[in-house]
Amino acid sequence: MIDLKNASRRDFLSISGRAGLATLVASAVGINVGMVEVLTAGTSKKITPFRFAILTDAHLFSIDDHKFDIFLAQAVEQVNAMSPAPDFVVYGGDIAQNGRDDQLVKGRKILSKLKMPIHFIPGEHDWYLDMGAAWKGHFGSPTWSMNHKGVHMIGMNSILVRDFWTAAGMSAKQRMDTMEMLESPIAGPWGVREEQLEWLKKDVKALGSETPVVVFTHSPLWDYYPRWNFQTEDAPEVRSILSKFERVMSFHGHVHQTVYNKIGNMSSVGTLSTSWPWPYPDVQLAYPEMRMTRSDPAMIQDGEGPQHIDLEADFQGTMHYDPFGNMLQPSIKDGFKI
Amino acid sequence: MNKKRVWAAIGVLAAGGALSLLVGAALARDPYTREELAEQEKALLASVDHGRDLWHGSNPSISTNGLACGNCHPDAAASNPHTFPKYQADVGKVIALRDMINWCITTPQAGKPLDADGDDMIAMEAYAFYLYRGKQIMPGLATEQTSPVVVKSGVGYPKKGSGVGYDK
Ligand code: HEC
Ligand SMILES: [Fe+2]
Ligand SMILES: [Fe+2]
Repeated sequence: MIDLKNASRRDFLSISGRAGLATLVASAVGINVGMVEVLTAGTSKKITPFRFAILTDAHLFSIDDHKFDIFLAQAVEQVNAMSPAPDFVVYGGDIAQNGRDDQLVKGRKILSKLKMPIHFIPGEHDWYLDMGAAWKGHFGSPTWSMNHKGVHMIGMNSILVRDFWTAAGMSAKQRMDTMEMLESPIAGPWGVREEQLEWLKKDVKALGSETPVVVFTHSPLWDYYPRWNFQTEDAPEVRSILSKFERVMSFHGHVHQTVYNKIGNMSSVGTLSTSWPWPYPDVQLAYPEMRMTRSDPAMIQDGEGPQHIDLEADFQGTMHYDPFGNMLQPSIKDGFKI
Repeated sequence: MNKKRVWAAIGVLAAGGALSLLVGAALARDPYTREELAEQEKALLASVDHGRDLWHGSNPSISTNGLACGNCHPDAAASNPHTFPKYQADVGKVIALRDMINWCITTPQAGKPLDADGDDMIAMEAYAFYLYRGKQIMPGLATEQTSPVVVKSGVGYPKKGSGVGYDK
């Protein structure tokens, strides 16, 4: 999907060049928004169409019957009611608000109501009280891959920072507090780091370039707004390892807003949270039509919700935001091609 | 005006100036010294700094559900102080920034509103306005989400002792 008005010849070439047999079909969506669907035909590797859902950023507090518990439970109900049902759910991080075990336990309990399997990656709010010990105890390894109906799915932990706490003599709680603040001046940039990069290289080594790949991280795999860690420091390395594939889809949490980008062979989609929406940072977006409208603070769930993705036989994806409120632009209300 | 007249006019002005200087010695004060101005800025920045703490949850009475302003408004983003006073649909009338701050305290945070004239409220406003410094005042801009100044590092204002960041 690209914005017709802003599409340069270079964008066009990078898409058609990669996919080899790509054709562009224009379809007018909305009044001022020109959208183009990229149809890849003739890839040798066909997949069995399926649907999966993403839930993320519940930010559960250690308070009973908190509104965010209810929001997450509602999102679970919404996913369970989808027809056709998603094959599985990916949870994109930030189950907890303060990294506490009781918050992770509460999240696991609410999510256990899902009728389908669920796979987890961590967010910064889950991790920095005990460096992921409780999280790993509940949800297993943050680094994983699986093959599903012809698609290679990858999950990675993108919230790893350099040690800022030891030299400063911080307690575990102070470390967590520091990471909780989005605009904290203290904690440095996030990344997946060396070990996972090595793992990723090995994980995709045997796969042919025609294999469809979907990757999940908490933070975006592109340089969106470093100040709020809307970025992953070593995303260029990740993208370079995945550059041999014809097409890669990246889904990320953390930004609590609708956002889309495309870099090389990777389309990248931000997901809504089930807790609260975040404002857009002051940067120029390559696909500004993907912004949601201002959320209404009087509508307590505006700008929140789960999402589901339909993958077609030729590895075309349609992203559907399933918001509780009504802040989506007309162009993304009925889903958009990714 | 001929040359003579001009000189005469300047003469009168000069005399007037001398007169006001004499009167001023009795009735008005000298301009603020650099030191005094520095003290005043320090007082303002202390209020801004207190405001930043409040925006990040330092007063537990303004939230009963654990949420702080900073959770939803990082760097005070989308608080749009320069658009007040304006009509707020939920309240059904034109309100000031402090009313909106109290609205966000009582609604998303389910907390106890602040005294509208108290030091805490002034500090809350000081932080928001300071992070939107230089932005055009546009009362009533309701449909646009606007951004504060771009904060590259630190907290977004001069903060003594932190050693990190200073974005003027
Ligand atoms: C749960 C999220 C949440 C919390 C917590 C929250 N707000 Fe808000 N607030 C919003 C949303 C959403 C808006 C609508 C803003 C937008 O997107 O433009 C808003 C709007 C505002 C506005 C008005 C902006 C405008 O243009 O009308 C102000 C001022 C404001 N908030 C201040 C605060 C302050 C101060 C606090 C802490 C006491 C706070 N908010 C806490 C979500 C929140
Ligand atoms: Fe989050
Ligand atoms: Fe996050």
